[in-house]
Amino acid sequence: MSRTYYVFSPGRLQRRDNTLALEFQGERRVIPVEDVDHIYCFSELDLNTRLLDFLAQKQICLHLFNHYGHYSGSFIPRESQLSGFLLVKQVEHYLDPGKRLVLARTFVTGALHNIRRNLEKREYEDTCQKLDEIKEGISKTAFIEELMSLEAHGRKAYYDRWEEITGWEFSSRSKRPPGNALNALISFGNAMMYTTVLKEIYRTALNPTISYLHEPSERRYSLSLDVAEIFKPVFVDRIIFRLINLGMIKENHFDINVNSAYLTEEGRRIFVKEFEETMEKTILHRNLKRNIRYKSLIRLDLYKLIKHLLGEESYSPMKVWW
Amino acid sequence: MLVYDINTEDNDGKRRLVKIMKTSRKYLSHVQKSVFEGDITEGQITLLKKEVLGIVNKGKDFVIIYSLKDGIKLNRDILTDTPDPTNNFL
Repeated sequence: MSRTYYVFSPGRLQRRDNTLALEFQGERRVIPVEDVDHIYCFSELDLNTRLLDFLAQKQICLHLFNHYGHYSGSFIPRESQLSGFLLVKQVEHYLDPGKRLVLARTFVTGALHNIRRNLEKREYEDTCQKLDEIKEGISKTAFIEELMSLEAHGRKAYYDRWEEITGWEFSSRSKRPPGNALNALISFGNAMMYTTVLKEIYRTALNPTISYLHEPSERRYSLSLDVAEIFKPVFVDRIIFRLINLGMIKENHFDINVNSAYLTEEGRRIFVKEFEETMEKTILHRNLKRNIRYKSLIRLDLYKLIKHLLGEESYSPMKVWW
Repeated sequence: MLVYDINTEDNDGKRRLVKIMKTSRKYLSHVQKSVFEGDITEGQITLLKKEVLGIVNKGKDFVIIYSLKDGIKLNRDILTDTPDPTNNFL
């Protein structure tokens, strides 16, 4: 089963004897190329086109993150899975406001359900009730903007509980740059989630730029934003709670300035390790009646989305049952 | 898990030794001199076997592949300070 590799040490990644080798600090680690699924790079890396060509041949994606842990881009091999038919269907569902709304609603419903599940366990009855009211409002919405604002309300109610859950200062969600440690964790976690969803999208014939809830703007893979909405509460948020409540991540894992906060390299390493372990965990799927990895849940949802687009079966988002 | 013992009495054997190491490295992590391990699919094992058989001298060398059934978790205890050779956090 091929895995994701995470590079934190600056060095040189190269093709060597038809496999990959990472040279750092005078040391060489040979990586079995057949074991590599994706490479995440959080440090400075030297590479050449010979390597990129090799990665393309082996269908390996290389994701790059900058000094602050922001996602800067990916090297993605030429797409092998193309389907003009599906693309046409994808666009059709975007152009028809009715069809688009149906999909956008399912993304929000899924996100809110999974958010509620995180609160349910902690017995925050009043916030759960608020979320239920919002959920009821979803079916009445007629415009995407309304839906977006409903989702924002739900998220606000959810984030209001974060200080209680984690015991850390939060105040409100801030981005570009994140204002405090908790915000930095959310931002970094979400970036990881987007790339994870994006890499699964590339395994299917879906086009990552056409989305339904988020406006498909330029320069963004907005479909992965849509799908990530469903999975963020399940993966990212739970990891954050776990890291903080178990004392695995501490104040000294952040670079805190006047109005910005970033994870340090050590902090990022801890987060990514937890993220990877979560993704590799297995769970008994109720419909498939077999154990599947957490990361496969994303792919299964994309398949459901494809079925919906092709008109075979209507899409219902992944709802956590555990 | 793949283990090999190559007869290196002649120059041809030395050549085979290097070749088989390079081939194994494509599929598995190098654990010790002639020991490799990794989690690969059945299809990949078939490819690996085919490549290995193309290199070795069946009469002189000894290659053995141990595999575990799907779903069985392998427990590894590294007793020394050696870093985990299969680590994917570099």
